[in-house]
Amino acid sequence: MGKQANEYSYPWLEEGEVPPLPLDRDRIHIVSQGVADPVFDYDIIPLTYTESRWMAFVVEADEANLNAIIPDPVELHDPILEFWYVIHRNTMLGPYMEFGVTASSTVKGQDGHVTKGGYYPYMYLSNDSPIFAGREPFGFPKKAAYIAAFEHGTNDNYFNMTMERRGYVFHSANGRYSDKPTPHKPTFYGKTDWGRLNYRITTYPDITRTRHQVTHLGSELPPQFGTGHRFQLDPSSVRTCTGEDVRSWYMAGTPFDFMGGQLGNVTVHGLISFTFNLIIPPASIVWERTVERDPEKDFGALLFSTPFKYTMRHRFMIPMYPGA
Amino acid sequence: MPSHLNVDDKYWKMAPDEIPASPMERDINTWIVGNPADPLWDIDVLPLTYSDSRWSAFVIDVPADTRQRLCPNPPLTIWDGDDAELVEYWYVMHYNTMLGPYIEFGVTISATHTDPKGNTWKAGYYPYMYLTGDAPVDAGRVLGFPKKMSYIRITEHGGEKGNDYFGFSMTRNGYLLTAQQGKYDDADVKPPFFYGKTDWGKFNMKVDTRCDVASSEWQLTYLPSKLPAAFNIEGHRFQVKPEHTRTASGDAINWFAQATPFDNMGAEIKVNAIKGLISFTFDLIIPVPEVVWTETYERPASYRGYATPYQYGLRQQFPIHQGA
Repeated sequence: MGKQANEYSYPWLEEGEVPPLPLDRDRIHIVSQGVADPVFDYDIIPLTYTESRWMAFVVEADEANLNAIIPDPVELHDPILEFWYVIHRNTMLGPYMEFGVTASSTVKGQDGHVTKGGYYPYMYLSNDSPIFAGREPFGFPKKAAYIAAFEHGTNDNYFNMTMERRGYVFHSANGRYSDKPTPHKPTFYGKTDWGRLNYRITTYPDITRTRHQVTHLGSELPPQFGTGHRFQLDPSSVRTCTGEDVRSWYMAGTPFDFMGGQLGNVTVHGLISFTFNLIIPPASIVWERTVERDPEKDFGALLFSTPFKYTMRHRFMIPMYPGA
Repeated sequence: MPSHLNVDDKYWKMAPDEIPASPMERDINTWIVGNPADPLWDIDVLPLTYSDSRWSAFVIDVPADTRQRLCPNPPLTIWDGDDAELVEYWYVMHYNTMLGPYIEFGVTISATHTDPKGNTWKAGYYPYMYLTGDAPVDAGRVLGFPKKMSYIRITEHGGEKGNDYFGFSMTRNGYLLTAQQGKYDDADVKPPFFYGKTDWGKFNMKVDTRCDVASSEWQLTYLPSKLPAAFNIEGHRFQVKPEHTRTASGDAINWFAQATPFDNMGAEIKVNAIKGLISFTFDLIIPVPEVVWTETYERPASYRGYATPYQYGLRQQFPIHQGA
């Protein structure tokens, strides 16, 4: 007993492999907390991705269901959704798995300008840094989940995806590529005048005010990177199939994740998969509103629970983030 | 024919007493974090209480220059009174919380902040925290806690009392950050100065970055230790159950710590001595903090961060996670 060692060396710094320690920098180079060791740091800027593999189901949902999950001032354009998984192999945030739903939408800003984009009602990822790099500055609605998504077999002809959170599987699908074209594509596909929209909610630490912003990520490459769409597809990597080729599909609402319950009885039109490089630029704000709360009058509406009484949403398997 | 099943159960309608309706069905005043249809955590987290959590705090002697470096100045100054050198290096098993069960780690340093009017706040400041669940990481980050996710293990077991032996460890992105093991000898262990004092709260430094990365506001938040009046209980909001307390002397502890390319804690925290371990069971309430200091750091339009596009280094390459 009593054997103790602290290894203080930081060899990666001397070898130039990591940025200067946060506490040795000017504060403009701290983009997130903790300020001693941020969850995402300035070595993610500019944020690029190489050879990610995108596997997007094309799904149609009931318009009323979609209108019930898309907040004002964002408006649904059409009910053809992208329901996508991604294997991110090389990114400034490290490798991770990702899932999202994208709905073609528009938003009219306070200046009257209409912005077109894919709005994300749901996103799930496998790692902490990209979750908080997405949530905090940009407003991506990211949660953590167990995500398996892969292609395998002869010529990678077979695909399989599964997603689980807190013991509930809330989506799984598998099948075989037929390379038949999907009968529909999301409206925003390939269009540089359609960006991406997020509804960012930032609450002040004392909860007396919450800032609501619709943020917009343009689809044009930033000027220093050339011209074209910032999703740079490798056309030789595209595989497709129809809804009939999706052998099985399971989606369910859970107590912790409402997506299956809210999207309802969707129709699966097919799958489009491709390999791509990507740049995520800084976002702009196209609409903004601040909600103020009076602690005396408004805090009561926030107190849904009873102190020290734990309900079914508070009881689940203890999470073990698999960073071992 | 393929099998496609959409289970559109809406749990918030099935259990309305236990699950709040989607924020989209509520007043915007009650939206705290994204997404608006299905937030990462919601108002059933509030009020935020904990029951029978098990805290295990290593008490370590840390030199003053290390403590001051980790407490950003401005606005913080390290405590220079009694037991100033004692720092808490703690693990917690949270069994019952409004955010669900999770495991947590943190470091707490005694510090003070004095505003231009001469008002002084005394508190434990957290430079590092790690948790196993996404919702408590995000809920904490809203209040300013510097939380990241990691894989954490806590074990107490065996011996005459059934919990005589202990083992703790924390790993992230494949690297071991710290590990301890040993046997409780129930020796006297002196705690950090803030222990049990209701005039000592907790400090956090929140960083709120604009979505275009043009600026970041640092916000020093202060969580008081007195219970909120609404709970009608006099005393500290950490309600310790003394019958469950166990202690170990420094000689009864094996200890290891190191920095990794992703987490610098082991390089930043210099340790003069491991003074001991104090473990106890407690209930807890986390109230709303106040913001006691802010400062905004602006970035020029030419700001580019530290990364080179499409070049991935040591910090971007580690085993891919499949998620929590």
